[in-house]
Amino acid sequence: MMALAHQLTPLAALLPLGVAFLLLALSHWLPPRTADVTSLIVAMGLVALCGWLALESLQGPIVHWFGAWTPAVSGKPGVILGIAFSVDPASAAVAAFCALLFAGSFVFAWGYFDKVHAHFHILMLLFLAAMIGFCLTRDLFNLFVWFELMGIAAFALTAYPLGKSSLEGAFNFTVTNALGSFLMLAGVGLLYARTGTLDFVTMGRVIASHPPDPVVAGGFCLVATALLTKAAIVPFHMWLSDAHAVAPSPVSVIFSGVMVSLGLFGLLKLVAIVFAGDPRVMMLVHVGLFWLGVSTAVVGGLMAWAQRHLKRLLAFSTIAHLGIMLIAVASVSTIGTEGFLVYLVGHGLVKGTLFMIAGILLARFNSVDEIELYGEERSLWPAGIAMGLAGLLLGGLPWGLLHDATDSVHAGSHGVAGALAIIVGTALTGAAVLRATGRIFLRWSGAPTVERIAPTEREREKGDRPLWLMLLPCVVFLAFTLLPTSLAESFVHSAATGVVSRVIPHEGGGTLAAAIMFALTILIPAASLLRRRPTRKFARGAVEAETAPFYALHVLHSGRVTDYVVWMMVGLAVLAGWLRFGW
Amino acid sequence: MNVLAWCVAAWLLGVGIYGIVTSRHYVHLIGCMTVCQSATYVLLLGIGFRWGAGPPIFYDHPPGTPAVDPVMQALVLTDIVVSASMTALLLAIALQVHKRRGTLDPQYLRPLRPRE
Repeated sequence: MMALAHQLTPLAALLPLGVAFLLLALSHWLPPRTADVTSLIVAMGLVALCGWLALESLQGPIVHWFGAWTPAVSGKPGVILGIAFSVDPASAAVAAFCALLFAGSFVFAWGYFDKVHAHFHILMLLFLAAMIGFCLTRDLFNLFVWFELMGIAAFALTAYPLGKSSLEGAFNFTVTNALGSFLMLAGVGLLYARTGTLDFVTMGRVIASHPPDPVVAGGFCLVATALLTKAAIVPFHMWLSDAHAVAPSPVSVIFSGVMVSLGLFGLLKLVAIVFAGDPRVMMLVHVGLFWLGVSTAVVGGLMAWAQRHLKRLLAFSTIAHLGIMLIAVASVSTIGTEGFLVYLVGHGLVKGTLFMIAGILLARFNSVDEIELYGEERSLWPAGIAMGLAGLLLGGLPWGLLHDATDSVHAGSHGVAGALAIIVGTALTGAAVLRATGRIFLRWSGAPTVERIAPTEREREKGDRPLWLMLLPCVVFLAFTLLPTSLAESFVHSAATGVVSRVIPHEGGGTLAAAIMFALTILIPAASLLRRRPTRKFARGAVEAETAPFYALHVLHSGRVTDYVVWMMVGLAVLAGWLRFGW
Repeated sequence: MNVLAWCVAAWLLGVGIYGIVTSRHYVHLIGCMTVCQSATYVLLLGIGFRWGAGPPIFYDHPPGTPAVDPVMQALVLTDIVVSASMTALLLAIALQVHKRRGTLDPQYLRPLRPRE
């Protein structure tokens, strides 16, 4: 079986690439539904293949050297000429999860892109191949190439509807992420200059055996900037709310569900395998990245609460949850990694569901503005139930994958700041989704305050798909999220140990924190939906005082790409300063 | 030589970023991005460079003659290909934006706008 797994490993990336090229070559002759069917089958097949690889690799990592250029070929120890895929349980499981989300998105987008031949499916398959390659590779430059391919496919998919907003969102997305990848390439160069290799494991060995080196630290800074930009961590996060709000909803499912969290997964792997031997970099990760995660969770939560455009709201909610995931990553421990992996899956499923529901609203009513849609959607009650349930799950409903993952993240992060950030991020995003659900599906209004000033827009998506077809992936995803983690506990543990084997002492679960979180998730939207329009002078003053800080946040998220680049440079300077002065 | 390459790379990156940040036109901004990218090329080629070494092509040299590091050149080459497609995509987007909004000034372009 192991030999077969060795043979099949490259197929995980080659299959979607090959099928994409075939579809492109034949797109003008194929009957209309072929692309839908083929890409769905490919995605399902990849779920099976990567899942099987994940189980096989439990006995030990499967390493496939392309073209049999194994380290032995060079004849010198430490000189590696080949490029390898290395399959460990965590990487293969994340790859399988990517494919699962794509399968859901393909079902959701059935017939959505009829007019454009198979081009949507081709881009999506390229995107999927890039993600799987990104998960499985163990060569730094190869990682960069998959990263770029992922980027290019994503940029094109965002600009796809050719609307005003989607073009500008795609432009902001492309400029910030492309700048990130330039920095990453420079970082790869610096790391190669010092270690003389691009293979993760060998690099890690070289770095651990030498005294701390500023060039290595600089290389880490640049590579981390690129990955944090992809993962939308404050202050690199500005592009995400633009891109995810304006991309077609089947694409946003992938963006928010897994593309951004892959940035953090890549960062975790690099930190654990390559940089674990550099105490300075590890200090930056433990302290610096932890605080970036804390601020991301808080900023994302506040901004999500202050939105009225549902897709933009979900985008900021993704930012908040990425902050929580970064808190887990920054602990670089087995328990934190367990939390991160389960969180990645749980969050991806819930966020995918929510973007699909936003897509259903767009398809039926050409709007996702919660104030405009007030009380319109009674006929869509199944979508309303799914959205309410997803909102509860997002806000810490004490059941299912996300809850268990949050517990592990709590256990991995010591200190009050981390716990508070997790509570704020989770509760505010859950509350925002529940508020929107109440307004849209239940006719609960409440006078809008902070969300009234938020940007919004009407848009249009193809609307003649049957409701049950669009709801099917939502229901399946929610059912997965509701499964108890205990079913896969031993797998998750060995997957986490395969990436990070550092065990830290921790107490079991933050029960109190979980209770506070869930109570806030219920109370905040309830208070907001019961509000009256302020008539008295005092009440008006209170509302103004409440709105002012949100107004400042809105101004900072200006939508101008030039500002975003300034923020990226500020972030890079913060990382570099942290390394240099280490406060 | 090496110090010079590092300085040139840093300078190009700085100028490029300054250009992006102060840009008033999308096409100018895309041009500035290519400048930033050139910075990484100079850096990479500087890293791979060796005094007195030839190109890493052994067609008319015996194997074993000193050559510059081919890995770095492969990195640059791969990235040129990727970046060409990225620039093309950005220019196409800029063209479409101009058709729809009538301007290419980043100060006036933002994806979603507040009501009123």
